[in-house]
Amino acid sequence: MATTGLTPTQAAAFRRKQLSAQQREELLKPFLPSELSETETRKKIRRRQSQQNASKRAHISTPIRTFLHIAIYHVVALLFSIFFRFRRAYRLARGKVVSLLKYHHRTPEFIAHDVKDLDKMPKHLSVIVEYQEDDESQGTAGLEGLVNDVCEISAWAASAGIPLLSVYERTGVLKNYLPQTHASIWNTLEAYFGPRRKPSLSLRAPHLSSYSPPNTPPQAAEPNGSDLKEERQHLTVLLLSEHDGRDTIVDLTRTLAEMAQKGDVRQEQINMDLIDAQLNDHVSCEPDLLILFSPTVQLKGYPPWQLRLTEIFHLPDNKGVNYQVFLRALYNFAKVEMRLGR
Amino acid sequence: MGSLHDSRIHKWFATSPPVAWTVRQLRELLIGSLKQGPVPQHVAFVMDGNRRFARNHHIETVEGHNLGFESLARILEVCYKTGVKVVTIYAFSIENFKRSKHEVDALMSMAKVKLQQLAEHGALLDRYGASIRVLGQRELVSPDVLLAVDKAVAMTAHNTKAVLNVCFPYTSRHEITTAVMKAVATYGTPIHNLPTPSKRTFSESHITQHLRKQMLEEDTEGGAEQPESRSTSPSPKDATSAEDGRSSSTSTAINSSDKDETQNGPTFLDPESISAQTLTDHMMTADAPPLDLLVRTSGVKRLSDFMLWQAHENTSIVFLECLWPEFDLWQFLPVLVEWQWQQKKLQEEQQRIRGRSKSD
Repeated sequence: MATTGLTPTQAAAFRRKQLSAQQREELLKPFLPSELSETETRKKIRRRQSQQNASKRAHISTPIRTFLHIAIYHVVALLFSIFFRFRRAYRLARGKVVSLLKYHHRTPEFIAHDVKDLDKMPKHLSVIVEYQEDDESQGTAGLEGLVNDVCEISAWAASAGIPLLSVYERTGVLKNYLPQTHASIWNTLEAYFGPRRKPSLSLRAPHLSSYSPPNTPPQAAEPNGSDLKEERQHLTVLLLSEHDGRDTIVDLTRTLAEMAQKGDVRQEQINMDLIDAQLNDHVSCEPDLLILFSPTVQLKGYPPWQLRLTEIFHLPDNKGVNYQVFLRALYNFAKVEMRLGR
Repeated sequence: MGSLHDSRIHKWFATSPPVAWTVRQLRELLIGSLKQGPVPQHVAFVMDGNRRFARNHHIETVEGHNLGFESLARILEVCYKTGVKVVTIYAFSIENFKRSKHEVDALMSMAKVKLQQLAEHGALLDRYGASIRVLGQRELVSPDVLLAVDKAVAMTAHNTKAVLNVCFPYTSRHEITTAVMKAVATYGTPIHNLPTPSKRTFSESHITQHLRKQMLEEDTEGGAEQPESRSTSPSPKDATSAEDGRSSSTSTAINSSDKDETQNGPTFLDPESISAQTLTDHMMTADAPPLDLLVRTSGVKRLSDFMLWQAHENTSIVFLECLWPEFDLWQFLPVLVEWQWQQKKLQEEQQRIRGRSKSD
């Protein structure tokens, strides 16, 4: 070292090998404060004790914090519940005003006028209606209320020129009354359109044969009926229930499993197209627009496969079937541009 | 709103220590108080609006995605702090491959870096004991990205408190198809059990027809004669065995069909035992609790092939107008509080029904 004429620090700077722990301590010693005196150690101990006390205080403060949290939780919940109530009241009032301004008067021309400016209409419209056991909210309970809702919606859809309407109702009670439902819808259409202009109607449910009486009422204007029939539109109403969702996919799986056991189908043959084609044929195609008449968006078991790109519309806090929801859904649908992941 | 750079004073104010401290304390307080009520166990997010945000603020699309990731980190923190067990995010749809190559590449390289960042020791996921799982069609991702993904998954595999499901190249229809395929595979392999034939809505002949059509398209490759020879024979026999299946003992009916089909008579699991639960167990989210809440930002009211099987029953679906990079506790809080409120209502209703049934 001496031969190169370097001070120890300079030598250290150029040294490549690691210093030992002892050497490093030596290196640092001049910069450290002197050894702790007696009093200082005592101070230090006291400080440590006070730190322990502080940590104890932190322990004590956890229940206080929990209490604070619970208090804030209840305050927030209270504030929001007041807010929700006011918002609901406001929305209901607004809804009432809108439904006063936009009423269909059970006339297809009014409805056609309302949707005249929309440049995009759903080809397949789907709605979710509810079967209410008890009459609590409105007079829409029981089977009668359900049939009434379905009839009204069908008439609106026919007036708006929508060719396919699927009605989802969880329990599927209406499927047991296909002929009666058809007659009810038929009557409602007659009330809207009049006997001569009313659209032809077929009622369908998955796994059940289509119900469309071929020559419905005999008084269907025979003399100039031929050219009238050309103009007359056709409405297909499809009744869906919970069974057409998961259960149907399960059914398909069972059938495929059975076929696989016989060797009729190989695993790699099962693909999206196969399932899609089967479900398309047996249940329904993808709806373009799904209207919910419930206050929140809960799909309640709607067939999942068909929901892929369906536009879902609901009016917040709305309860029950009414025309303005239907109309707003159509307006909303026309505004939205379709983006298929692009 | 103007460009991002206009709000410099606002930003300066928001990042000044006292303000930042207050906001942080407030967040902690709110999150802590949210914990006192019911908390959704499984939340899913569709992170929509990154590109629109970028367009609105005149920044690069990739930059928008970056901001979206920051937003995700914030929301994950909120979720895990409040006690959400599983968070599922729709990171990349199979449909997204249709976007420009530049953007897809950028997203992929972003996924590589960001997953690594999330998974690092002491980083967000480690702090909350969350493990990453990647759901989707792995074969569509390039191998280098896959390597990074696997590394991130392995790094967090030891965490058990929470889960982050990243739906990477994912569509729900593909998920359902895979689940059906797996179920068929399990039930299609011989096992010691007896099948019971019965009538169902799907006609086998119809499916065979479809398959045959598919086969015709692939006919040039050859090797498609096996199912045709069989398709005619099982249908009448099936009907008869279904008819006498109830009157006579099922075992005789099966034995006869087994003799017809194969000599050594392998037995299978009963396909009738396939239920919705079987398929649910084969979904990619099998071990997660049922989906409680699904949030989609940017005002698009569609599921877009996400969580169809999981979200079509009792999930609360919420569509928000705000864009994903703007999404934060302040947007999420009303959603959570409303969900808690609904949950409370639901409980009250159930109690009322129970009370009524008791009094009857």
